[in-house]
Amino acid sequence: MKKRFKLNINHNSEFDLDLAPLLAVMVKLVPVLLVSSAFVQMMIIETDLPQVVQEAIKKQDENPKSAQIAVEVSKSVGVKIIISENGSQKIEVVGFDKDKKIDYPTLQAKLVEVKKLHPEVFKIDLNPDAEIAYKDLVKIMDEARKVRAVGVRFPVKDSKTGKDTTTDYMFPEVVFSNMLDG
Amino acid sequence: MSRKRFEVPSKRNQSFSLNITSMTDMFTILLVFLLQTYSTSEVTLDAVKDVRLPQSISDKNPIDGAKLSISATELKFGQKFLASLRSNSFDTAFIDPHDSNFIKPLFEELQNFNKSNEKLAKTGKVLLQADEALPYSVIRKVMYTASMAGFPNLKLITTVGQ
Repeated sequence: MKKRFKLNINHNSEFDLDLAPLLAVMVKLVPVLLVSSAFVQMMIIETDLPQVVQEAIKKQDENPKSAQIAVEVSKSVGVKIIISENGSQKIEVVGFDKDKKIDYPTLQAKLVEVKKLHPEVFKIDLNPDAEIAYKDLVKIMDEARKVRAVGVRFPVKDSKTGKDTTTDYMFPEVVFSNMLDG
Repeated sequence: MSRKRFEVPSKRNQSFSLNITSMTDMFTILLVFLLQTYSTSEVTLDAVKDVRLPQSISDKNPIDGAKLSISATELKFGQKFLASLRSNSFDTAFIDPHDSNFIKPLFEELQNFNKSNEKLAKTGKVLLQADEALPYSVIRKVMYTASMAGFPNLKLITTVGQ
């Protein structure tokens, strides 16, 4: 009589995983990544914008009648937003918060209001006083560049397709207009 | 009765396996950390001593250009010292007597850069690493001189933040 073959499975068996090749790969990878790692991540502020926005800026430059927006920064008043259009001027002032710092949320809200009234304007003239700290300038440029609130967008016309589209950019082009002053 | 002599057990032909599990764990954590900090930027900028960069929400990677740095005490072009500062203003020796915004050594250095690095100079880009506490008056002098030397495109270097 033939004996039936019985598969012998040991459910309690243990085995060692050979980690040496994995470790060898890691040892090679770590120096490569160490060399190409940036421990301090640096970025730049520049006006590299979507094409639609770039075309809108060109259009604004070509149209001398479009509104001019100037932002003056001083330690005594805070931020003054001056909107000049058709010979008339409107001034909005943003003061300081409890810590005597510029009230950035209010500044952003005011700039959003201005942008809603003048969606064709993408450029602002920044005129800071000599004693304004560089970090405050960067912060003001951040607030002016893009809207922070989710869902708020501004209309812009794509000149190539003729279609209306939207953007979250407000005033991405900042010009230090008092740079040449003495 | 004679005492039995102690014998050191022979280790010849004995093999042992090294437990590398914990080392692999450590390397895995290190690898994840390094992958997070991995930079894909074409241009790598070295942090400058005594320059605390301002934070910005900008997410644009650095590009190539003339690299300037200003700390509370000195203005540098790359690693080269150009001018010294005291109490948030440039020492008078480095400023043109006829134009209070004109930094002579910076202008000369940018002119030399124009000649030696024509392709890069044509873009007119200046990468500025300035200390966050510096006043605008200092930044303005650098911007003014750079634009006079044919570098009107100023790129402000910042760190990632809110």
